Amino acid sequence: MMDFRPILQIVGLILAAMALAMLVPAAVDYLSDDLDWRVFVASSLVTGFVALGLILGTRTGAREQLSIRQAFVLTTAIWVAAAVAGAVPFAFSALKISITDAFFESMSGLTTTGSTVLSGLDSMPHGILLWRSILHWLGGIGIIVMAVAILPILRIGGMQLFKMESSDKTEKIRPRISQVAGGITTAYVGFTVVCGVLLWLAGMTPFEAVNHAMATLSTGGFSTSDASVGHFKSPLVDWIIILFMTIGGTSFVLFITPWKRKRWAILDDSQVRWYLGFLGFFALLLALWQWAVNDWSVHDSVRHALFNVVSVVTTTGFASTDYSLWGGFPQVVFFILTFIGGCTGSTAGGIKVFRWEVLFAMAGVHLKRLMHPHGIFVIDFNKRRISDQVVDSVLGFMVLYFLSFAVLALLLTMTGLDTVTALTGAATAISNVGPGLGDVIGPAGNFQPLPDSAKWLCAFGMLLGRLELFTVLVLFTRSFWRE
Amino acid sequence: MIDFRPILQVSGWLLCVLAAAMMVPTALDAALGHDEWRVFLGSAGATLFVGLALVLGTRAEWRDLTVRQAYLATTVAWLAPIPFAALPFVFGPLDLSFTDAVFEATSGITTTGSTVIAGLDRLPAGLLLWRGLLQWLGGIGIIVMALAVLPVLNIGGMQMFRIEMVSPSEKAAPRAARIGAGIIGVYVGMTVVLAILLWLAGMGGFDAIVHAMSTIATGGFSNYDTSIAYFDDMTIETIILVGMVLGGMPFLLFFHLAQGNWRTVVRDQQVHWYLTLLLLGSLAVAAWMVRSLGEDPGTALRQAAFTVASVMTGTGLVTVDYSAWVGMPVAILFFLTFVGGCAGSTAAGIKVFRLQFLFANALVQVRHLLRPHAVLIPTFNRKAIPEDVLESVMGFLFVYVLGFACLAMALAFLGLDFVTAISGAAAAISNVGPGLGPTIGPESTFAPLPALAKWLLAGGMVFGRLEMFTILVLFVPSFWRQ
Repeated sequence: MMDFRPILQIVGLILAAMALAMLVPAAVDYLSDDLDWRVFVASSLVTGFVALGLILGTRTGAREQLSIRQAFVLTTAIWVAAAVAGAVPFAFSALKISITDAFFESMSGLTTTGSTVLSGLDSMPHGILLWRSILHWLGGIGIIVMAVAILPILRIGGMQLFKMESSDKTEKIRPRISQVAGGITTAYVGFTVVCGVLLWLAGMTPFEAVNHAMATLSTGGFSTSDASVGHFKSPLVDWIIILFMTIGGTSFVLFITPWKRKRWAILDDSQVRWYLGFLGFFALLLALWQWAVNDWSVHDSVRHALFNVVSVVTTTGFASTDYSLWGGFPQVVFFILTFIGGCTGSTAGGIKVFRWEVLFAMAGVHLKRLMHPHGIFVIDFNKRRISDQVVDSVLGFMVLYFLSFAVLALLLTMTGLDTVTALTGAATAISNVGPGLGDVIGPAGNFQPLPDSAKWLCAFGMLLGRLELFTVLVLFTRSFWRE
Repeated sequence: MIDFRPILQVSGWLLCVLAAAMMVPTALDAALGHDEWRVFLGSAGATLFVGLALVLGTRAEWRDLTVRQAYLATTVAWLAPIPFAALPFVFGPLDLSFTDAVFEATSGITTTGSTVIAGLDRLPAGLLLWRGLLQWLGGIGIIVMALAVLPVLNIGGMQMFRIEMVSPSEKAAPRAARIGAGIIGVYVGMTVVLAILLWLAGMGGFDAIVHAMSTIATGGFSNYDTSIAYFDDMTIETIILVGMVLGGMPFLLFFHLAQGNWRTVVRDQQVHWYLTLLLLGSLAVAAWMVRSLGEDPGTALRQAAFTVASVMTGTGLVTVDYSAWVGMPVAILFFLTFVGGCAGSTAAGIKVFRLQFLFANALVQVRHLLRPHAVLIPTFNRKAIPEDVLESVMGFLFVYVLGFACLAMALAFLGLDFVTAISGAAAAISNVGPGLGPTIGPESTFAPLPALAKWLLAGGMVFGRLEMFTILVLFVPSFWRQ
């Protein structure tokens, strides 16, 4: 039997952090004389109480290492517990939304998806809006730490490639991990602050600036307005958000002490190059389309094309305009872009650029082998050889990704959704993008009209995609629970 | 420099065969007194002339094809007949444009079944027969290619299906020839049996023959605009259903069956998966029809099974206008379009075995998470799947998805709407036939599409039919360097 105590203890610590975070919107609401502050305080107390209970009730004395199985259970448990805790303020606030909606919103926040069931955001109490952004922001940092510290060790879908190299043999590994985590957090906080300040200077109110900065860096996509970023109608705001979404989709490890690296070290990373290449190519394509077919001005087409392409590829989900009205071609492009995703170790979801690189290389190897059947070909990534094991993991990941997408889409159609909503809803949930296509869940709509069962399915899809599938799916294998 | 002579010679022979095939509709039209027979005769003459010129002009001493020559020969052998097969469409009473004619011919030879011709019911018999014949010949071509060529060329994991030698004493070449002859025998035999059954079930003799050819080749051309719904007969539907399902099975197994080796057939995992998917899909769609459309269960199951089998095997014959469906069945059909049939069948798509390989690997990966140091090997039919096969399959799948995405984007770029672009690209690459939506759905034709879109779709059909890499390899610079 597995020892659940260390798991529960860490979950308790996370919940305690959530309880503290809830005090921020409580304070904001209190200062702006909104009665919702009581809800936040109460939620915070309840969460804190549960957290304390977990922490104190599971003291084991000895500090053991977690086994692999425990690590898997822990990763999933943290996200589910945090999502439940995050849903409490929604459920009891003045919004009067159902438990399903509250959980959906909270899960969408924590996984930095950005699909929402709420409308009328512009007139909503500040506390709730802030809480949504805080969920994004906490979720974002959680993902980066997970991608850097946990997934490589658990060998999820080829992430073992990114095991931290202890290049300096004398340095102990443990301090190095905490040093890296510290560096990443610094970079994350730093970028958020810079982004917030710039947005404020560009004309947002401080409250809007803070919210959007948090939702941008975490590539989340919750906005303070129903019209998303399109509400501000300010090219400057658009450009700032484009820049910081792009940063949010880049590997954060590269931002640790950049001055110690060569000047353009970030651009030397092959994953970043591919990522920027994808962004540039598709933005150009769509800008051309908008300019040639829909007769937009050059600046408008470039700005909106870039904004929405970056938003979808980094799985943010902001919209500067309702791109579902652009016509057939952009819709197909946006649907396909949903699957690409950002870099590893970023806050973006999706399949991730490095897996596409591996796949592309594999197709190339197959092509070469066709002509030289007995040749030996290897796949390089960032000038390092990739072992067969990594390649196999990546394969397994891709297959499960598309399988999960197909199954989720089928299940969604069974709840009565139409084809486009089901297909794009499944894609957007698993890739943590946010809005789908079509009349219901497109950039101009929201997820409110979906049946409850569909919301639970989407929430599960978000969790699945966020934890890179394997972490969750392994819990459903029989041999996991056998000793 | 690659020696082109053997390649041209192979193409020449194929053109001669095509010219011979054109004599069949010529004879039919002449017998029925249609003026069309002159067109067919003229086309046959032109084709034969070019074919003979190629054969005679390239006589050379050559024994074995090199790998490069084999790739070129495969691609050229599929491309060369297309313009000639299009001749009767251009010069016939239909007066199709060159684009439309090539589209129709490509759709026939690749057994896709997308058509640009409306008003089939009034078409002269010769042209209808020609469409059926094209599919039927294409079907044979595919099986021969899948058995003899692709495994040797290692395309997309097909190396798992190299014909194993039973005993070392047996010579390879005679055995391969024997198997090849046996399989073509099975193909012809099945077509004849199917035609007779259809005739007994009440179809006219001519209709029975054309539909039998179209069914076994999993093609999808019909003699009527409403396709099989025209007959509205349960026996006919059941016969065609069985024919389509058989057409999507590995033909090598029928050869084993003919040898009395039924154990291999029953145990074949690919067939298990294939039939299971068909069954599950049919049941789900039928359940949806009962619940949402209020059909009675019998009718629902009959229509659902037919539609699911037709789409999954890439046939494209229809009994019911499924473009009016919404939600679940559409998603099921869309996904099954990609799955396709078994290896070595006339069906296209990704093929069931590739998905099995990948699924086996994914399962192994999940188990690997718990036991990082265990050696776990994915298996198929109780044989280990080698690493390079897995990589080939994944490379194949990647190019498949990439090809689909590019084609869909290009189509949408030409102004097609979302559903038409996505489903049209899928239907072309998987050689299904009809797409979804009001423009190219089962009730309509591809005629209204812009000419460029037709060329793209025709390209997609050939690309999908030749399993991508056969064509793709020609674009690698080092292919042409010596």
